[in-house]
Amino acid sequence: MKPLGEQNHYELLEVSSEADAAEIERAYRMAQAAYATDSLAIYSLLADEDAVSLRERIELAYEVLSDSERRRAYDGSLAGESRPPPSTGLAFEPEQEGPVRSEAKPLAPIGLAAFDELEAEAGSSVYDGARLRRARMRRGLELDQLAQVTKINPTYLRFLEEERFDDLPAAVYVRGFVGAYARCCGLDLRAVVPSYMERFETGRIARKRSRQGHPF
Amino acid sequence: MANLAAALARRGRAVLAIDVDLEGANLHTCLGVPSPRASLADFVAHREEDLAKLVVDTPLRNLRLIAATQGHLGAAQPSHFRRERLLQAIHRFPADFVLLDLGAGTHPAVVDYFLAADEGLIVLSPEPTSLENAYSFLRAAFYRRMREALESRAVRRLIAQAMDQRNERGIRTPLDLLREIQSLDPAEGAHFVAALQQFRPKLVVNEVRTSEDIKLGFAVRSVCKKYFGIEAEYLGYVNHDEAARRSMLSRRPLVESHPAADAAVYLARIAAKLADPRRASAQPELRESRA
Repeated sequence: MKPLGEQNHYELLEVSSEADAAEIERAYRMAQAAYATDSLAIYSLLADEDAVSLRERIELAYEVLSDSERRRAYDGSLAGESRPPPSTGLAFEPEQEGPVRSEAKPLAPIGLAAFDELEAEAGSSVYDGARLRRARMRRGLELDQLAQVTKINPTYLRFLEEERFDDLPAAVYVRGFVGAYARCCGLDLRAVVPSYMERFETGRIARKRSRQGHPF
Repeated sequence: MANLAAALARRGRAVLAIDVDLEGANLHTCLGVPSPRASLADFVAHREEDLAKLVVDTPLRNLRLIAATQGHLGAAQPSHFRRERLLQAIHRFPADFVLLDLGAGTHPAVVDYFLAADEGLIVLSPEPTSLENAYSFLRAAFYRRMREALESRAVRRLIAQAMDQRNERGIRTPLDLLREIQSLDPAEGAHFVAALQQFRPKLVVNEVRTSEDIKLGFAVRSVCKKYFGIEAEYLGYVNHDEAARRSMLSRRPLVESHPAADAAVYLARIAAKLADPRRASAQPELRESRA
């Protein structure tokens, strides 16, 4: 518990001294958003000059900790201040960015993983549109972002969530959409796709029957 | 708050909801009790000393209510002594959970109820006005808690100075204050740190519309840590839901009237978290402040 001015780079980013590259990246993005000029979270609490200096220090912390050379030197200087050194004294290599694959990968949850356990608690095997939407929100994803990654028209993604089955294309496409959606949101495809498709099929059949019964 | 009480009751726990917002009582309406026959106002006005006689049933199983209707407009808040009596009576009350619905603002009565609770919930909406209210409430609660925890006159005077945001000593954040106290009186500094560690407000973000709104809870938690030096817990979020308005119009809690609505699912999750016996701090009391 130290005044802001005395917090080290790890404390500023709220990560442990053993955090890996992905954790540091995530923490930095969270901090950047939390302490941005127009952030709601600091509204009325932090004086402008304090916010500016905090942002500068967060940037510096990220610059140092995301550069393996500089991080090692920094850890050394912390150890010199009789701090417990990080348990891994090993060289730290950030992951190389591979070529962009066409297949949608799960997007890292942006600090929202804390809520994943809650979803598991629900214990239900039914994946309806609302549950998909909740999973997306928990991942911190807007529909547009999901559309960019999955290359699926955001309108269709919205129809999936709203279960507007009649406005969606043929089942074979919808199956693909649901799969891509689930993958991006870190959901289990084997659980999500059959459950959603069952709703889709029965929903469509019911609609068709009701239309046949009522010619208008 | 009505929904949280209802969601806990639906989990089979004996819940007592108390409306201590004497100046803006409406919990009874949210719970479908249009005109409760007794009210907390009777206790405040010394007409009734036995809290148990003020309890009324609600249409929901396991959920009972002490409403706050029919008060005296001139003297809504009970005196300090009366509040103490009320809190003692609440602590003795046989229920798994006692939820207090607090009014807005930073009146000492509101802050006292919040601090006396085992768990204090602060509900935010993603709007500047809400954050402004939440932070002024947190500041008020923080300094009141710290003043209670410390005994030295000199230190208490220092805290009083720090409460004025334009103080001349340049104490800008509560953590600056800690440093000042530590240099003035190391023993009191240790008390201050202990009090800080026990002060763990819970956050709920309401009216969530985008995933950005969800992240607000994490950002506020970070600000609490950096600015106040306290560990707030982000308990969960509840989305903006048209079903909530419909349930309000029908004067039934959303978790009862529309249990499948998104907002009801989120509320049930928060209730599950609060009711979870694995949570070390799960104790039979909750308070809520609306920001």
